[in-house]
Amino acid sequence: MTAPVLIEARGLTKRFGGIVAVNGLDLAVRQGELVGLIGPNGSGKTTTINMLTGHLAPAAGHILVHDAPADGLSASQFAVRKVGRTFQITQLFSRMTVLENMLVPGLARPHSTWAEATATARRHLDFLKLSHLEDLQARNLSGGQQKLLELGRALMLDPEILFLDEPFAGVNPFLRDEIIVLIQTLHGQGRSFVVVDHDIEAIQRLVKRLVVMARGAKIADGTVDEVRQDQEVLRAYAGV
Amino acid sequence: MRNAQVVPGALLAVLVLAFPYLVNGYWLTVGVLALFYAIVAASWALLAGQTGQFSFGHMAFVSLGAYTSGLLVMDLGVPIPLGWAAGVVLCAVVGAGIGYIGLRMRGPYLALFTVAFSEVLRIIFVSENEVTGGSGGLEVTPLFHTRSDAPYYYLGLMLLAIALGLMVWLTRSRWGLFFRAIRENEEAAAAAGVKVVRFRVLAFAIASSFAGLAGGFYGHYIGILTPDIGSVDQMGLVVAMAVIGGAESLFAATVGALLCEALVEALRSYGEWRLVLFGALLLLTIRFARNGLLALGFAGVKRLTIARAPANVAP
Repeated sequence: MTAPVLIEARGLTKRFGGIVAVNGLDLAVRQGELVGLIGPNGSGKTTTINMLTGHLAPAAGHILVHDAPADGLSASQFAVRKVGRTFQITQLFSRMTVLENMLVPGLARPHSTWAEATATARRHLDFLKLSHLEDLQARNLSGGQQKLLELGRALMLDPEILFLDEPFAGVNPFLRDEIIVLIQTLHGQGRSFVVVDHDIEAIQRLVKRLVVMARGAKIADGTVDEVRQDQEVLRAYAGV
Repeated sequence: MRNAQVVPGALLAVLVLAFPYLVNGYWLTVGVLALFYAIVAASWALLAGQTGQFSFGHMAFVSLGAYTSGLLVMDLGVPIPLGWAAGVVLCAVVGAGIGYIGLRMRGPYLALFTVAFSEVLRIIFVSENEVTGGSGGLEVTPLFHTRSDAPYYYLGLMLLAIALGLMVWLTRSRWGLFFRAIRENEEAAAAAGVKVVRFRVLAFAIASSFAGLAGGFYGHYIGILTPDIGSVDQMGLVVAMAVIGGAESLFAATVGALLCEALVEALRSYGEWRLVLFGALLLLTIRFARNGLLALGFAGVKRLTIARAPANVAP
């Protein structure tokens, strides 16, 4: 029996002026999947994430979350539907403490309490090895710690699916390995992921399914081995 | 250590409560006006400092609250508390509307938009002279029929305490956390599940209602309302008060307003030069102490305390 579809894009299109950033994209992510989304710069990966998390309105096409239409929903409504994300350039509440950064999504959840949100935040901070920094302002964290905090903040939504936009960009190899282990652990707990990154080696270590985009369209979707042998991918992505 | 905080605090409280008996009539009037400005500056700090919405129309809401109450009391014979409350409610509703219309605006664009709103309202009050009395002013029934300003002082003090208490409670609640998250990064706040539109509008409505509260108090204290109360000049003064104190802290903005009003009056004998000094102080604050002079002062005291504290040396 196949797992149910968590999020689905049907004919998703986005235009910026005369440029078609995403062109009729079909993509479905099932529960428990760990998908890598790769492609050259400007291929439409981040735009796709922005549409699938409510940060951009599509020009055409439909989005479904748990088979229910999610067209026109705001980013906060996607968050309530347990769709979480991180950003290509880390977006934190810089002048708020690490704990406060975690509490914002915790308390934005319906029926949440301070005690419960604080306990959950501390548990996640412990998991991310940031507990000792909870009173520090987020802007005083290192780049890597900021990436981890952003991941932690997304976890506070108890997301069923997490879109990670370039989680390995600008991090040292040790932290990169740490982030891979964290994602694998969270995936093992039943969360689904879509990971966008240019670090192909890390992506290959992490995922079983790869989706490749080029010029706003999906050009391949399959296992890592299938995609590696795909001639169109080699032409479009690697320039071979 | 405990006494070191309690004694100065108690002394300050006694001074504040005994203020009407320690000063002459002129300085008591200054005290009442300082309390009015303190409520306005704190509520502006709630909007600009906590949620990052730099409104230049806050004094327009003061004038809206004052005129609403004044007109209802004078023209319709509504009791003052009811007229005053109607002014607060109207400010909340109009504030929510302005907040909603200005949703897509940030920084200078929102500031310009609110300046325009402020000027439109002021010109309406000037033009509709049959209703508002125009530039000649609208006579408003005073709250107290006494010769002394002392009842106004104590009422102002109570209003400031209640307003500040409510605002502090708000900033420490989850709404306050969301306000600051929106100030820091709207996109991240939305991704974290914060209903950005709702909270931006709410912040505008709440801050505007406090401005309306202050406006009602001002109108029924001064006794004659002119459209100038909502002018850009007055708004500049409030912004300067809050920024010099520290716009990101409600307490700092409040103390900033109290001290600035006292300073402006103390330097009155210097004529226009006092405003030059005031402007220079604002420029220096923005350049060297972006969190306000009080925050800078607090940090200095803290450093001094640490430096004077005996070092913990291991035996």
